[in-house]
Amino acid sequence: MKSAEPCLEVTQLSISMGSELLLDTVNLKIHEGERLAIIGANGAGKTTLLRCLLGLLQPDTGQINLYGKNISTLTRGNIARNIAYVPQVLNPEIPFSVHDFIAMSRYSHSGNHHGLIATDNNGKEIADTMMQRTGIQHLAHRSMSTLSGGERQKASIAAALTQQSPILILDEPAAHLDPKQQDSVQTLLEEISQSNNHTIITVTHDLNWAASCFDRLIGLKNGRVISDSTPQESITTENLAGIFEAQWEILPHPRTGSPMVIR
Amino acid sequence: MSPARSILIVFLPMAVLTLLLAPWIGNGLLDLSVLTRPGAEDLDAIIFWEIRVPRVLLAMLAGMGLSLGGVVFQAIFRNPLATPFTLGVAGGASLGVTLSLFLGISFTVLGISGLSLAAMIGAITSITLVYGISRTTGNSSPHSMLLGGVAISFFFSSLILLFQYLGDISNTFRIIHWLMGDLSRASYDTVFQALPFILSGIIITASLHRELNLLTLNDDLAASYGLRVEPMRRVLFFAVSLMITGIITVCGPIGFVGIMAPHICRLIIGTNHRHLIPASILFGGTFLVICDTIARTLATTAEVPVGIITALLGGPFFLWLLVKK
Repeated sequence: MKSAEPCLEVTQLSISMGSELLLDTVNLKIHEGERLAIIGANGAGKTTLLRCLLGLLQPDTGQINLYGKNISTLTRGNIARNIAYVPQVLNPEIPFSVHDFIAMSRYSHSGNHHGLIATDNNGKEIADTMMQRTGIQHLAHRSMSTLSGGERQKASIAAALTQQSPILILDEPAAHLDPKQQDSVQTLLEEISQSNNHTIITVTHDLNWAASCFDRLIGLKNGRVISDSTPQESITTENLAGIFEAQWEILPHPRTGSPMVIR
Repeated sequence: MSPARSILIVFLPMAVLTLLLAPWIGNGLLDLSVLTRPGAEDLDAIIFWEIRVPRVLLAMLAGMGLSLGGVVFQAIFRNPLATPFTLGVAGGASLGVTLSLFLGISFTVLGISGLSLAAMIGAITSITLVYGISRTTGNSSPHSMLLGGVAISFFFSSLILLFQYLGDISNTFRIIHWLMGDLSRASYDTVFQALPFILSGIIITASLHRELNLLTLNDDLAASYGLRVEPMRRVLFFAVSLMITGIITVCGPIGFVGIMAPHICRLIIGTNHRHLIPASILFGGTFLVICDTIARTLATTAEVPVGIITALLGGPFFLWLLVKK
């Protein structure tokens, strides 16, 4: 069941850098529990949109409401307790152990204490649970810098889950990984989306993954939303030609029937 | 060994031991009985209580501040070579002091000397410039701030050279000697002059150890965890300028401590700032006391400025760091 009020509502959002318009009057309503993928060519404004949704970029015009409140009036801690973020594969130079890295995501739960004492007592247990869920508990004491890209990405996902925020925003979570690690990260995300009522918003270039695992696909081109519908309606030769300016054939997946892009 | 344990078993005893032993080392053997005669008029007591003890204390304090300044800047800029020296903060403070030496200004406002004030203004000017440059280019990434800082640092260095060139001989000599980084002006007065600056810097920074951990990750991720990245960076910048102001005013710029001490501590106890801060404070203090003890005992006729010793030790270490990387 989807609640009537959207958890994220984007109205008339525009943002430009210099003379270049990065996002052009974007309107979006995202409801709780929705799984949404943003697709588009490089430079279409996908990452800019994500950064606006995270409250990291201030739009020139328009606004974003998070559970009915203007996101630019909320504190960073308040946003963090509602939205967790998984960036593109992190650089390997993170100088912490996996466990320490994951526990750091509890920052917004430790009250306003900036002192020497961590006030978040159950943070450690939650971090342990999430490491188990993502299958990386055996890596807990390894340094982040010694992990493979896929393992590092799972640690990132575990950190985002440890944040216990209802909305999960991911920026190309499986990019730059080899096919096997891509599979394992994508499978993990599917498990998470099925077992929780997380709202999941991701940017991805993997159209087949977007088609098979998401409820709704947003097509961006030159900063504008040019398509917003189910995978069945989005993944068509005509629609993709509009988004990517390329002619691709679409076939139904032999087992699941979801549309597949043949390049 | 756990980080907390290595601080208690290695770093703390090492610092205490150095503090207790260093005043006894130097030209001429001192009699143990000077311990019972603080304030006495004989030469041994004066050497011990009026010269060596304040000097060791000042070296300890300055080493702590320099090392911690390095820790903070390396976290903010996510670069192991970032220090208040590479970033122009020390350059700004040095320029402030050079200017006031050049113009021969001396006054005291609310107990703060004109020299401290000039150093403070210089340090804050350089930070404002680094921020201003990164703002106008629309890019406040650590990388572009680092480049801006390096450029400002060079600019200030050349201004300092210019004032040296223009100054009369006695002023220029004072500037040059002071720029070498030197603890020979140590007295209880200078210790108490530097103490509030360094102590407040340490307190602010130590209370922000979790924020420093987050800043070493990546700006967007740190923000998504709930950190207000830019204001936090500014607070930390300010805390470091306080410490650098305190140090530069009384002992001039002493390089390399801020790179070496944090790096060695990181190798031993890791990057968690909750442990890294106390460890590098203790190690930096110990290191500078040892360097200064070497500096004042090495040559029998005159003292070698401690900045030369830290640079002599730091240069090869720097190369080792680069080769190992």
